[in-house]
Amino acid sequence: MNPQAVGLSASEAQVARQLVGREPNDLEWGLFGALWSEHCSYKSSRRVLAWLPKAGAAVVAGPGGNAGVVRLDDEVEVAFKVESHNHPSYVEPVQGAATGVGGIIRDIVAMGARPVALMDSLRFGDDDRAHRLLNGVVAGVGGYGNAIGVPTVGGEVYYGPGYDKNPLVNVLCVGTRQSGRDVGARGARVGQTVYLLGQATGRDGIHGASLLASRDFSAEDQDMRPTVQVGDPYTGKLLMEATLAAIETGGVAAVQDLGAAGLASSSSELAVQSGVGLELDLDQVPCRELHMSAYEIMLSETQERMLLVFNAERGKEALAAISAWGLTAQPIGRVVAGGRYVLRYEGIEVANLEASWLVDGCPLVAAGSMVPSVAPEVGQAAESVSFEGRDLLAILGDPDCRDRQPIYQRYDSMIQTATVWGPEHDVAILALKGTRYGLYLAISGPGRWAAVDAYAGGRAAVALVVARLATQGAVPLGLTDGLNLGNPDKPEVKAAFEQMILGIREAALALDVPVTGGNVSFHNETDGQAIWPTPVIGGVGRRERPTAPWSDGLSGENLRLILVNAPLVPTLGGSVGERLHGILRAYPRVRLQDLARSAAWLRQLSQNAGGVRAVRAVADGGVWLAVVKMWLAGSAGVGVRLDLDESALSWPRLLCEEVGQFLVAVDESDVRIVLDQLALHGLQTRNLGQSVAGTHLTLRVNGDEVGCWPRQEISAAWRSWEGERGGQRTS
Amino acid sequence: MKTKVAVIRFPGSNCDHDTVLALERIGAEPVTLLHHADNLRGLRYVVLPGGFSYGDYLRAGALAAHAPIMDALQEAVERDQVRVLGICNGFQILCERGILPGALHANVSGEFRCRMEWIEVVSTPAAWPGFTPGMRFRLPIAHADGAYRIAEGERKTLWESHSVFLRYHDPVNDSQEYSPNGSVDAIAGISQGSVMALMPHPERAMEQWMGSDDGRRFLSLWLEVNR
Repeated sequence: MNPQAVGLSASEAQVARQLVGREPNDLEWGLFGALWSEHCSYKSSRRVLAWLPKAGAAVVAGPGGNAGVVRLDDEVEVAFKVESHNHPSYVEPVQGAATGVGGIIRDIVAMGARPVALMDSLRFGDDDRAHRLLNGVVAGVGGYGNAIGVPTVGGEVYYGPGYDKNPLVNVLCVGTRQSGRDVGARGARVGQTVYLLGQATGRDGIHGASLLASRDFSAEDQDMRPTVQVGDPYTGKLLMEATLAAIETGGVAAVQDLGAAGLASSSSELAVQSGVGLELDLDQVPCRELHMSAYEIMLSETQERMLLVFNAERGKEALAAISAWGLTAQPIGRVVAGGRYVLRYEGIEVANLEASWLVDGCPLVAAGSMVPSVAPEVGQAAESVSFEGRDLLAILGDPDCRDRQPIYQRYDSMIQTATVWGPEHDVAILALKGTRYGLYLAISGPGRWAAVDAYAGGRAAVALVVARLATQGAVPLGLTDGLNLGNPDKPEVKAAFEQMILGIREAALALDVPVTGGNVSFHNETDGQAIWPTPVIGGVGRRERPTAPWSDGLSGENLRLILVNAPLVPTLGGSVGERLHGILRAYPRVRLQDLARSAAWLRQLSQNAGGVRAVRAVADGGVWLAVVKMWLAGSAGVGVRLDLDESALSWPRLLCEEVGQFLVAVDESDVRIVLDQLALHGLQTRNLGQSVAGTHLTLRVNGDEVGCWPRQEISAAWRSWEGERGGQRTS
Repeated sequence: MKTKVAVIRFPGSNCDHDTVLALERIGAEPVTLLHHADNLRGLRYVVLPGGFSYGDYLRAGALAAHAPIMDALQEAVERDQVRVLGICNGFQILCERGILPGALHANVSGEFRCRMEWIEVVSTPAAWPGFTPGMRFRLPIAHADGAYRIAEGERKTLWESHSVFLRYHDPVNDSQEYSPNGSVDAIAGISQGSVMALMPHPERAMEQWMGSDDGRRFLSLWLEVNR
């Protein structure tokens, strides 16, 4: 076989030959091709990812396993990770997205944790196909998540030209487990038996990792459809319950889910992590089709499968727990001493390698230098663009700003009955049983902000997650990163990747929150056009009293609207506002220390609220969208009067998207105290206006009334999807 | 003494645990029974919870309708008037089994819908005098197949026999014709004899912080206990 047929470069093939000391056979080449693919080996990213801070007081398990784990309290631990399923979702949106959800759920289950929440981060182009792709992806995410019974409690969707042929589907899954229930791939011991559980193996998804997810797309790639797997949430549900029940018995020594590169990657990774060898008898693998070759069995990406190893003490109980869910675990091999990875099929030895060659042998790409790029000159030209009332309504209806209800109402956000705040809010809140701490979740993946300055985008992604958690006074425990870029062999993509990681690193260090794992998706590039570097950050935080959230809605009149941590010179760089004028400049670099102080102030204040009635983090659409969302989320019969009077800075003030700014609504009687506190914290503030009796939002800029809109008009502009299919109430 | 309530779990049920918690919240003692059980252990109250039994791959509820526990349930209803509550997939299973008339079709939007809705009691079920016409509940829906359909002739009978138990209600426009899924006559739930079923999920509305605690009132009325 030509090693290039399995995606290996000539030099990689040479390294493989040297490791093996002979010409590998076809099956062995297939294993190398899959395990050394970008998707499985992280060869272009591993050395750069090492820059990220991974230690923290709450960290139980950092990167390297199926998911990161942080401590919620003495009893409960939280496993969480974001994963992408971009390429399959373009080829086949429904099944691609569905299997993405199934895959990340299995990762969490393999950590011994019960999935309690999902969030999705989606990107689509602005062409005609975007709607069809979105519709399929949402059907796929919902179809799997709703049926398996894990609520989708939030998410985000954005649009941009580079995503036309490279839509992004990143899914965050969060699970909880009892403290000390530490399972994973490390526990297999010599003499134990290896079992395969779940779906029978079929011919689906063969080489999905190496040939679909690890190279660029071209126009002819519709023929890749057979490499996409099909999701079966019903079996997924049984597999999840059976695996968790088996772990519950204490009889599971090691567990690894089968995802990319199927049995090949799961078994070799389990061997390496446990420091053992494996002998697998492929005749024992239950197959869906007759006459499957060893190659097909090893590289199939059939979904809903789990690899399990049981201990001597309680293994029988674990097997019984699995049978109770109507599934059968099939013994397929045994754990042996050393590190040898031997496959037998039809009585013949068909592969004989060191497991570590497959898992750790791939040559890694060197990392560049850890020096942040110089901030691009933004220039002032765009700051002088002017806006009218109708522009502001257009911003509300912009696809990056408008209401997401048509999407999230297709997801079950309430199952498991722990959802205090779901997808209609910027941060999700779960009230879990068995702990006084609420679990707070946020996700942010700003491609537009990273488009010109990837370093700024990386900082902003982390900053927005921490800011959103801060609006509830929640303390961040850990982050997960889903990094989406073009072809890493191109210097500009490699540079953007490194700058993005540096930005994430700087923000994570400054805001004191570790990155406990994640996923890298390169080759989001079709016919030479790459996506914007898109860093999707998910974060988990905690706070007591989750069932009494801090409001994000304007609840009454006579509340002062104050902008906390206002930039001295606001900029429109990277904003929806300037894009309206056909401009896309660099996004500002978030002032991390000022954000840290703002978050500390909010956390302190959240203990007693002190006259601050509502809080929102400023993001897309700037202060303008934050005010509108706060207003629409509040009570009817309340109006808003906004008054900006900073001459040339007024418009940038209204539409600047710099993260770290907070919009707060303060009782008129407490304004003095709050402003004094903020001054003590060294934070800049601006008075934006107040809530009034009435039903209108009035905006004055530099003394002129720009608009006076009734609630219905603003609401209709933001819910610009009304009338589109799926958004309508039916009767 | 706590009232014992059977909660039936089929493979693929996913609201069984929430239903158990909800029943505990109102002071009942839930007992989970599996699909292959051949009797109800003498329990007088049974909940068929929501979810995707057997994946709903054939038709929602179609396979579960033929599970052994459903033979036992039908017999217990016919012989002992055991009180049954079908929620969402449970409603679909009861219709597929023929215990309740009609069928639940795909939402007219063609999409899954999850959100809070108002429902209103239309007529008092014979077995539950506590539910009175005009009573309203705020409960979430979460389904893809919730459009209630019934043959034209049977629809008349349904109304005349006071089997139409719950309808969706639009408080903003005070509309009688509002339905989030395209149900005929905006029907959200029906009842006959000792069986009642609805598409909305009372077990998900047990605390103010869930968005509504009307589910407490609903389940307490079904169980005929004071909250």
